[in-house]
Amino acid sequence: MRVEYINPFVESSVSVISEVLGIDVERKEISLRSKAVPVLDIAVIVGLVGQVEGRVIFDMDKKTVLNIVSKMNEEEISDFDELAKATITELGNMITGRAVTKLSEMGYKFDVTPPAIFTGNNMQISDVKMEALVVPIETSLGRIEINVALREK
Amino acid sequence: MDKKVPIGLKDDGTKYKVLIIDDSSFVIKQLTQILLSESFEIIDTAADGDIGLEKYKEHHPKIDLITLDITMPNQDGLTTLEKIIEYNKDAKVIMISALGKEDLVKKALMIGAKNYIIKPLDRAKVLDRIHSAIIGVNK
Repeated sequence: MRVEYINPFVESSVSVISEVLGIDVERKEISLRSKAVPVLDIAVIVGLVGQVEGRVIFDMDKKTVLNIVSKMNEEEISDFDELAKATITELGNMITGRAVTKLSEMGYKFDVTPPAIFTGNNMQISDVKMEALVVPIETSLGRIEINVALREK
Repeated sequence: MDKKVPIGLKDDGTKYKVLIIDDSSFVIKQLTQILLSESFEIIDTAADGDIGLEKYKEHHPKIDLITLDITMPNQDGLTTLEKIIEYNKDAKVIMISALGKEDLVKKALMIGAKNYIIKPLDRAKVLDRIHSAIIGVNK
């Protein structure tokens, strides 16, 4: 996978998170994962279809998700309920939307599918013949792993 | 000193009525808070384009403004926009999306959307775009 695909996702993660949550974010080292991806507690998955296809996963533990959705809703949310799901999905949607806009400005043509949420313990996501690049984002609300697996069609 | 009149109020003191079509309950909540703070009335909400179109037909012509998401399950925002405009060419629709791709924005405006707001939603930006669409309504 070409690294140029991941940069817009990392840049938009940093800008959207700091804009929406009003907190500082720190980008950690990028790493390559060629096998199944372990998922923390909650993963928001957005699919990409078109000239470039694949998926982006925003992977977080439950505490981080509850911290983020509480801040976005300006109220304490202690259960991963429907509003929490809609809120964290929307964060993934905004990040992906901004990244896809950047990539389309770079000349790539593709669309995004509505985000989906996966939850569970000891869950793994496997991509057949697709390597994933992972960039962790550290914030005061917790750590978010951005996992991007894309390929040109 | 004159108190600023909320932009959600018409000259006769009645409220502008808004239909929100969006698959995210978070976005609906956010938009509702912004609009209620300026005295708009949320006439109804819909979680996808199919339901949105039904609700539009149900409440038309009472609806003054529609906010319409682009990426939704079942019927997407652009298809819904086409059908709303087909039903009423004067419908005032504002697109709201996380996607700001130029071709998408152009297409929406070409079909007949009055404005396009790119998320994250900023209160001032939302009210400004909606106000512009309303001024268009009154011209």
